[in-house]
Amino acid sequence: MSTQTDETQTISPVASEPSRFRPSTRGWAIRLVVIALLAVVTVWRVATVQPLWADHISLAAIFAIIGLSLNIVLGYTGQVSLGHHAFVGLGAFIAAHHITERAGCAPEEGCIESSLGTFSVAILLAILSGVISAGLLGMVALRIKGLYLALITLTYGFVAVNSIFEISSLTRGGAGMPAPRPATFFSDHKYMVLCLGLLGVCMFIDWRFLRSKMGRAVLAVKSSEAVAASYAVNVTAYKLMAFMLSGAFAGLAGALFAFRRQIVVAPDFSFSTALLWVLMVVVGGLGSRLGVVIGSMFFALFPFLIQLVGFLNDFLANTLQRDPEELTLVIGPFLALLTMIQFPGGIAEQISPITRWLGGDRFTMHPEGKHHKPSLLQRRRAKKQGLEVHDDAELVATKSEDLLRDAAGEPDAASTQTMAAVDSSEEVKS
Amino acid sequence: MAVLEIRDMSIRFGGLQALKDVNVDVPEWEIVGLIGPNGAGKTTLFNCIMGLYSPNSGTVTYRGRDISLLPTHRKVSLGIGRTFQNIGLVRELTVIENFLLAQHPRIGYGAFGGMFGMPRTFLEERRLRANAMEVLDFIGLAHLAHSKLGGLPYGTLKLIEIGTVLATDPDVILLDEPSSGMGPDEAHAFGERLLKLRQTLNLTVLMIEHHVPLVTSVCDYVYCLNFGQILTHGKPRDVASHPEVVAAYLGGEVEGLHSEDDAEEVADVTS
Repeated sequence: MSTQTDETQTISPVASEPSRFRPSTRGWAIRLVVIALLAVVTVWRVATVQPLWADHISLAAIFAIIGLSLNIVLGYTGQVSLGHHAFVGLGAFIAAHHITERAGCAPEEGCIESSLGTFSVAILLAILSGVISAGLLGMVALRIKGLYLALITLTYGFVAVNSIFEISSLTRGGAGMPAPRPATFFSDHKYMVLCLGLLGVCMFIDWRFLRSKMGRAVLAVKSSEAVAASYAVNVTAYKLMAFMLSGAFAGLAGALFAFRRQIVVAPDFSFSTALLWVLMVVVGGLGSRLGVVIGSMFFALFPFLIQLVGFLNDFLANTLQRDPEELTLVIGPFLALLTMIQFPGGIAEQISPITRWLGGDRFTMHPEGKHHKPSLLQRRRAKKQGLEVHDDAELVATKSEDLLRDAAGEPDAASTQTMAAVDSSEEVKS
Repeated sequence: MAVLEIRDMSIRFGGLQALKDVNVDVPEWEIVGLIGPNGAGKTTLFNCIMGLYSPNSGTVTYRGRDISLLPTHRKVSLGIGRTFQNIGLVRELTVIENFLLAQHPRIGYGAFGGMFGMPRTFLEERRLRANAMEVLDFIGLAHLAHSKLGGLPYGTLKLIEIGTVLATDPDVILLDEPSSGMGPDEAHAFGERLLKLRQTLNLTVLMIEHHVPLVTSVCDYVYCLNFGQILTHGKPRDVASHPEVVAAYLGGEVEGLHSEDDAEEVADVTS
């Protein structure tokens, strides 16, 4: 009975991709206006910002780079790193050490401005140190999975803090290693522009990383290593490459961190900061570039934002006698808990209706159709017609089901199968 | 000469001898079935062939070349595709992105070129998308290209998975229970589809399958595995009617394979 199917499948001319929703010219125009307005307001605010806030924004950009770095490991590849403070710290010390000790631009010798050349080399060295240390750790640690990997990275962080950061020729002990900026980026304002620019570069690399073969391979590894290997992905190599890219970002962030204060001290990089970085990535939304950047910037700016609220600042300073930074370590875990229990997608998911609309999609509150199930009668009617019931209430008869129905010969039989298929698909999801 | 030769494959998990001296030949252009009751070691054999498990002994020869020690991804690059019992697709990617992933070994740009957004990566991605659409159209699912996997029926996902395996450009495909979750008619239609796939794409197939009518109608040769050993092998009809095979499936008492407790259980069920 199956010989009568219309399944005459020879190699046909290449099908074009099904068309997706594209906005009309007017739709695009409105979106472009909104984007342009947002851009203009942001650029104007940032360009006219006070030097103090320029410094804060530099920190926010650095945190965002660290967030992207962690997101590559945690959000895309599905590996855990609790030792990122070691990568960032090493980058910071390497950069500072290069400027002060190797290029000989130490403040005690009256050098307050490094040259642009040594500055660039220092940043490149910091990136390289991040790549190498992440590569070395990865070669040992990435053979191990889950909890033990978390434990190893955690241990690595502690060991690095207590060994590398204790080398006084690298860190100059408690006094710290100076890291003077070059004249080009000497003012806080110019330095902020540099940090934001490098953040832009990192976001571009992150975008291309995710949208090319590396990103797909790494997402497959996160999903299942066996499945990834069955698509010819070299699992260990890709985990290692993701780890090294993460290390590169972390090293860069470290160098920028060093030049922001123009001095690095070991206590800047403790386990609690590493933990905070993990939390900010979770709150921002694991796996979402924009969410992570927003989350990280929020965590970086939080202590300064608190100071803008008069009564909170008074309460902190007078009654609790605490630094605003310490409040981040209280609010951070709380936000992370809230995210994990109530808003699993983090900030990214909360703003996704807007970001998707700006990207040229329809405006809908539930883009994945997760919360919108078809009504009982809709389902029943659809089933009777032998249609598939999708959770987003779009009733689509797939070609494959048509073929199967033709093969079966009886439409009724096919519809019952489709019901079975719908049921089983629900089982799979649950 | 067989495309895929498995010789003396044995693997032990602690006290459990999961496979013992298994020999399987998959000749060119044949569909070879692998049947056996649950826990017989069928999927374990697949994992040993692909290198996801490292067997205690045994060799896998692919077109005369010993590939026992190659890592999984190298075997896939050589042209051995494999599906999973519980759908080996990446849920975070859309249907077409899964097809792009499947073409991983034949992508004409390096990982770093892709990362830094070199112009040729964009061109290459366009070519990959065209390839993906070709395969999607071939399996009749072109309209689902941009769908998320989440809302799709189980049978469709199974079909998509076979499609992605085709996109790895395989010579031999190992299918792990391709008809699970399908009704009898769907399974039959799947059998027809498989025969056509072989016809048009020149495939050799080794498949694990429980559905006996499908096995008898599609397979050229069948191996029956029980408790990690090959019970019997031969033409599908002979194997399906083989008394030991029937006993293995129904849990009957043949040649003292089972303990008395098992026999009692069977008696309880049958009475």
